[in-house]
Amino acid sequence: MHPADTMGQTREGAQYGFAFLDEDAKRELRRSIFKAVCIPGNQVPYASREMPIARGFGTGGMQVTLALLGPDDTCKVIDQGADDSVNAANIRNFFALTCPGVTGTLRTEEASVIQTRHRIPELPLRADQILVFQVPYPDPLVVVEPNAAKRRRMHGRADYARLWVKLYEDMVAFDEITISHRYPTRINGHYIIDPSPIPRFDVPKLHQADCLYLFGAGREKRIYAVPPHTDAVPITFTDVPFAVESFRDKTTGKRHTCRRCGADDSFLDEFLDDDGARIFQCSDAAWCDMRLERLEAAE
Amino acid sequence: MKPILDVDNLTRIHGPGCPACLDVTGPAHDTNLCRHCGSVVAVADASLRLHKGEVLGIMGESGSGKSSLVKMLYFDDKPTSGRATFHDEGQAHELFSLNDAQQLRLRDTRMGMVYQNPSLGLNFDISAGGNIAERLLMSDELSYRVIREKATALLARTEVPPARMDELPRNFSGGMQQRVQIARALSTGAPLLLLDEVTTGLDLSVQARILDLIMELQEVTGVSMLVVTHDLGVVRHLTTRTIVMKHGRIIESGLTDQILEDPQAAYTQQLVSSAL
Ligand SMILES: Nc1ncnc2c1ncn2[C@@H]1O[C@H](COP(=O)(O)OP(=O)(O)O)[C@@H](O)[C@H]1O
Ligand SMILES: [Mg+2]
Ligand SMILES: [Zn+2]
Repeated sequence: MHPADTMGQTREGAQYGFAFLDEDAKRELRRSIFKAVCIPGNQVPYASREMPIARGFGTGGMQVTLALLGPDDTCKVIDQGADDSVNAANIRNFFALTCPGVTGTLRTEEASVIQTRHRIPELPLRADQILVFQVPYPDPLVVVEPNAAKRRRMHGRADYARLWVKLYEDMVAFDEITISHRYPTRINGHYIIDPSPIPRFDVPKLHQADCLYLFGAGREKRIYAVPPHTDAVPITFTDVPFAVESFRDKTTGKRHTCRRCGADDSFLDEFLDDDGARIFQCSDAAWCDMRLERLEAAE
Repeated sequence: MKPILDVDNLTRIHGPGCPACLDVTGPAHDTNLCRHCGSVVAVADASLRLHKGEVLGIMGESGSGKSSLVKMLYFDDKPTSGRATFHDEGQAHELFSLNDAQQLRLRDTRMGMVYQNPSLGLNFDISAGGNIAERLLMSDELSYRVIREKATALLARTEVPPARMDELPRNFSGGMQQRVQIARALSTGAPLLLLDEVTTGLDLSVQARILDLIMELQEVTGVSMLVVTHDLGVVRHLTTRTIVMKHGRIIESGLTDQILEDPQAAYTQQLVSSAL
């Protein structure tokens, strides 16, 4: 049984209107979201509001989510694949308090809006679902160009050679591309985005998806989008294929599996058990639970 | 002979400018500073033609406007007025009518620049090979193997030891840095190179080797060059034709041999005799 915690049944303590932000702020956010959807991958500025949590803890993602939520929505919050971390719980409680009527869920398939940090759910998202990313660093060019005005012009011209030079230097030093998170990804053949700190494993899920992906950066005040059915291609060389984490055992060559649900195709977290042995488990808790349920039902 | 570059009445005034600027500056007034408005007339009404495969020298004392002229052609600076036409692959590009993206596209793929100061032409935070790779990537070469092979070959051609390819150029000698800059400038097979005082400040023996290298590469590739220098040795060594600048004006132009043997302007005579 998965008790869906119901959000915001009372208006207790809510001296703000629905979804915390005033209507003007939400309208402005929605305008920026529309713009972001119209020009896939383009970073659209917006006036980031003060939120009751510190910037850097997902205020950008929260504002996007708050601008989307209506009383009929069902909302899920993920942090590092799980719903039960302090950060995810805080954000979920905040939505519960400020969005009366919105239902909370831990189940991916039930959610209409999912706010996430670090992961894209394993369960493919549908056309009626929106995934909102909390973004710490929205501009992939920041590592090669300190000047923001120059970066904007570079994006306009799709002048990304210097990002590839980084890959070149990586290949020279390590014989492979070592970027593990925030892998620069080209959207619809033009803009390159920082897809937030998701692992490489999740990058292919951005490509030609059924759902809408929205990215919100609070500190840098930027929103960008990967709309449904849009190309999202991690940048690489023509003769160096992009590869995701394989989770293969270095000695046996066999892929590790989840010790809970047995999944052999999910993104795995690695732990040491009490005896110091390495164990692996699905990083996406909802996916793992769903598989266990199905296995139990089949027995 | 076909032209590759036509420069028409190119002018660059630093400062507010006024109607008198051009009338009260130049060799006749022995200044490039307008006494009415305080502007510096760095280049005034400069016109020249560079032919395909030609090496044209631009000489003149320090402050005469040589760097200002080539900077505009490489889009490092914008002219106050004037035109330049770059004839390339059957097209005539009006350089200063192109938009930002078109200008950078030409500059990154069809022109090369070698600066006196290597830190302007190279990124010291990436390897020598990475500096070459950047230009190749700008011209849409996306195969790692091809980039690596081309960078290796280019550096070998400019006599940078292959063992140093993956080092940062900030640790190189001045001569080696210039070799990397030259390799980078040549990397895309651009038909036009702009060289601004490339040997100034280097040891004499290093200078001679780099000039020989430039000559050799020019003969092999047939690339057209504008060679800016205040050094008559460089002009004599590299160029067939030369223009002479003073206070932003072109005061003399012709075959290098003739200019060196029989300078017309008193200023050129001074330049030539002081160097002898
Ligand atoms: N950005 C600038 N602002 C003001 N004056 C400048 C600027 N750049 C160059 N100048 C002036 O323009 C003149 C020509 O400079 P430059 O083209 O560098 O000469 P050269 O390369 O022949 O030594 C000099 O008087 C110089 O001081
Ligand atoms: Mg100069
Ligand atoms: Zn004046």
